[in-house]
Amino acid sequence: MQATAPAVRAEWTIGVALMLAGCSNIPNPVDWNREPTYFFAFGSEPQSFDPSVSYNSGDAAVMDPVYPSYFRYNFLKQNPWELDLDVGLAAPLREPLDGIGPRGVAFHGETWTFEIRHDLRFQDDPCFAGGKGRPVIADDVVYAFKRMADPKVEFPLASNLADKVLGWDEYSRGFVTSRADAARNAANYDRPMPGVRVDPANRHRFTVSLNQPYPQLRYLMAMHFTTPIAREAVEAYGNQSSLYHMVGCGLFRLAEYTPHDRIVLVHNENSAGATYPTSGAPGIDQALLRDAGKPLPFLKRVEFRIITEPITSYNLFDQGFFDSLSVGQANAPVLLHASKPGTSMSRRGIEMLKGAYPTIEYLAFNMQDPTFGGYTLDKRKLRQAISLSVDSESYVELMNQGLGVKADFLIPRGLGGYDPSYKNPYRQYDPDLTRARTLLAEAGYPGGVDTATGERLTLYYDNYVDNGPSDRQREEFIRKQVQALGITVVSRDTTYAEFVDRTNHKKVQFFNYGWVADYPDAENFAFLLYGPNESPGPNNANYHNPEYDRLFEQMRGMDDGPARNEIIRRMRDFAVEDCPWIYLSENEGPTMYQPWVRNRYSNPILSNLLDYRGIDVERRERLQTEWNRPIWTPLAIFALIAFAGVVPAAQTVHRHRNRRVRKRISEEPS
Amino acid sequence: MIRYLARRVLYTIPTLIGVSLLTFLLFFMIFSPETLARRNLSAKNPTPAQIDRWVHEHGYDRPKAVLFKQHMQSMLTFDFGESDKTKDRIMDRIKAGAFPSLELGALTFGFTLLVGLALAIVAAYLRGSYVDAATMGIAVILMSIPIVVYVIGVQYFFGKMLRYGPLAGYAPGPDGLRFMILPVLVAIVSGSGYYVRLYRTFLLDETSQDYVRTARAKGVSERAVLFKHVLKNAMIPVVTTTVAAIPSLVLGNLVLESFFGIPGLGNYLVGAIGTQDFAVVRAMVYLGTLLYVAGLLVTDILYAVLDPRVRLT
Repeated sequence: MQATAPAVRAEWTIGVALMLAGCSNIPNPVDWNREPTYFFAFGSEPQSFDPSVSYNSGDAAVMDPVYPSYFRYNFLKQNPWELDLDVGLAAPLREPLDGIGPRGVAFHGETWTFEIRHDLRFQDDPCFAGGKGRPVIADDVVYAFKRMADPKVEFPLASNLADKVLGWDEYSRGFVTSRADAARNAANYDRPMPGVRVDPANRHRFTVSLNQPYPQLRYLMAMHFTTPIAREAVEAYGNQSSLYHMVGCGLFRLAEYTPHDRIVLVHNENSAGATYPTSGAPGIDQALLRDAGKPLPFLKRVEFRIITEPITSYNLFDQGFFDSLSVGQANAPVLLHASKPGTSMSRRGIEMLKGAYPTIEYLAFNMQDPTFGGYTLDKRKLRQAISLSVDSESYVELMNQGLGVKADFLIPRGLGGYDPSYKNPYRQYDPDLTRARTLLAEAGYPGGVDTATGERLTLYYDNYVDNGPSDRQREEFIRKQVQALGITVVSRDTTYAEFVDRTNHKKVQFFNYGWVADYPDAENFAFLLYGPNESPGPNNANYHNPEYDRLFEQMRGMDDGPARNEIIRRMRDFAVEDCPWIYLSENEGPTMYQPWVRNRYSNPILSNLLDYRGIDVERRERLQTEWNRPIWTPLAIFALIAFAGVVPAAQTVHRHRNRRVRKRISEEPS
Repeated sequence: MIRYLARRVLYTIPTLIGVSLLTFLLFFMIFSPETLARRNLSAKNPTPAQIDRWVHEHGYDRPKAVLFKQHMQSMLTFDFGESDKTKDRIMDRIKAGAFPSLELGALTFGFTLLVGLALAIVAAYLRGSYVDAATMGIAVILMSIPIVVYVIGVQYFFGKMLRYGPLAGYAPGPDGLRFMILPVLVAIVSGSGYYVRLYRTFLLDETSQDYVRTARAKGVSERAVLFKHVLKNAMIPVVTTTVAAIPSLVLGNLVLESFFGIPGLGNYLVGAIGTQDFAVVRAMVYLGTLLYVAGLLVTDILYAVLDPRVRLT
């Protein structure tokens, strides 16, 4: 029904009146605010909600509550992380598989048999017959694998599976990238994929056949890439942006996406449900277990408000209009200060929780560089000396606002193979640099001067400067530290794109880089120094040690345990002595929470944290009102001052007019 | 007049082509197609095959001349295609963002103009007095401070400390007006200084004209001289500067939209520049040029309509 003209006028009049009265500064929809709705600041425009494509932690926070996978990480366990079943019915069965590969080479692989829950159903969506979501079957997970193999889909982890899943390459070649040949692509989807098949006897069971042991598959089965995908949805919306159409079977479904404004998820009525974990990590706060075993979710709705300016998000959070706020580089200094004991935020019960996602930040030498690369004893000593000159603790404090810890090796905390007692002999900073100077002299550069030529050694630091002042500050920090040895450091500034290009072509000498885990397994870090992965692969230091490579090939197919840890320890000995990297830090990502948020626990590896959160709605409303009462006194004072200013102004006008009148009278001929 | 209009419309064509070409060349000078692919693909270490495939899919492997020709053809038909990053239809996003931008633009521009004009009248009327000097001094100070300072200051002081309105956000319809309080305040404080100085100059130019002296000689009151004669004639440049500003209202305000979370076209453009979404950038630049040229053309026509001394030939 359309509103009549007078009704519309009345509406606008009320709107203007409310605006002028400034009656409320709450930006959230009032009725939603009175319900279990979670309000969250989303720092950038989402890029893709396609579960086979998106590989961005921000987008995953929206997607993962919609797209569940076989496993989900236990919300209350980390360091180490633990997987629980999600859409999976039982732990997968792993059986050895021997066979002959496409080039006639025998392989010793394995077959994983998975069975999904029988009570799963897709959300209601117009892409289904009658608009009602249909039951989820194993074929929907197999379809997800087929999409991953489709080159046009741009699956970001294709290299992790392509060399392991039987027949992946052959199946992938069946697709053509031309959009014009859609029919051929559709036909390829109808064809069975050799390595991923549905059990003909059970429509909820499927197998994945691999040509090598690949224990990390379990982690891929916890990522949204392997969520059941409805082919009907892809065929209905495949040519449109994925941002408007998410069709999943998770606890939430997408209700609204308005570009540059907001994304709204609501509880998915068709969801088969999940329960809050009944156990947590040792020593966990028992208050976090008060919801143990209760059905999820506790929220009715989630609103992601897209605010790209960190200062605006911070102010809105401080007013109580966001329930939590991620602390990023841009707002870290303000938030870290504001959350200290005794500040307004801490007095109001706002809490900051730190969580360590497995990451590593490092400085790397190009091991193919004629001056700083190479594996001879003097080259190793040169790199070791430089490594000893860089103070990681100061780096973390200055460059990362204290959000992280010093790293001694490339395996971060919480992962199998991490050794908390290990101290890297070339990462023990001594302000006097005694050992560093000795090693530098032994390398043939006493005081940083080349004994052969008499020239001072110059180290070129390849610096990308897209991120503003922090890149310059980092360069200044590194320059100051290394120059203390007598080595001249020259910065070669580029854009990040140029830097990547130079790295890929092995034209860099010394640079800063980092890695964020795809999954919490040592293999996902150790492969960064694996020789065959050299540039343009992820081994951008171009490190090549046959012993390290041999050990890596041995460990990557092993499950976590003492035997694997021993291999990692041996790999560490080679990598530390060769010193292709200067290990800097394992960074942390804190989040701020309002006092009314239930189940405040930071587990950064989870993207579906909203599944577990709850809101004390009454407390939120009471505190929001308390924190946001308008203060009218300054406005009254301003009005008084303005009035006081108007009086002399009016007198001036009066005098001005009288003067003109008097002037005119005096000019008139008498 | 018709010949003039036809000529001006014809001038528009090389302008549009020139600006598009410049954008095109600058973009490809800074970003190679491989860089664009790397930025837009979600893989952390995309393989050369993935990069080649992306470049081919988006047509960036074609010769630049062919690419530009196709680009101009699609621009002329307003078929802006899809975003490189999100695969969204660009025209749909433009349509969705135009109203919030226009709403913000109209309110901020309208209030700024009103305040600027009112203060200019006062300053011109009291020319030489301390009120005039104070108004001009304050106008210069207001103009000298970058808008971001006002945004942060207004958000903190009026939004967070005094809580007079929502600090950021947007809602369509009457309820959404409260979201406009702070952006409008920022616009008035940051923008009215310029208009005060500009309009005061226009007004003072008029007050020194012969017809004003004649009116005064005939005994017309000072108020009548100002409001009936001076203001009416000074409105010609005021109206034309206003019309020239209208296209920018549609295209949005980059800073205000970004800080106040308004889903307009300014925000869209900032996001596209940030993610190097060339398809969106080139469409927005084209649209901006078109609106700007159209705005100037309308301004010229208005001159002729409002001022009988001006003839368009």
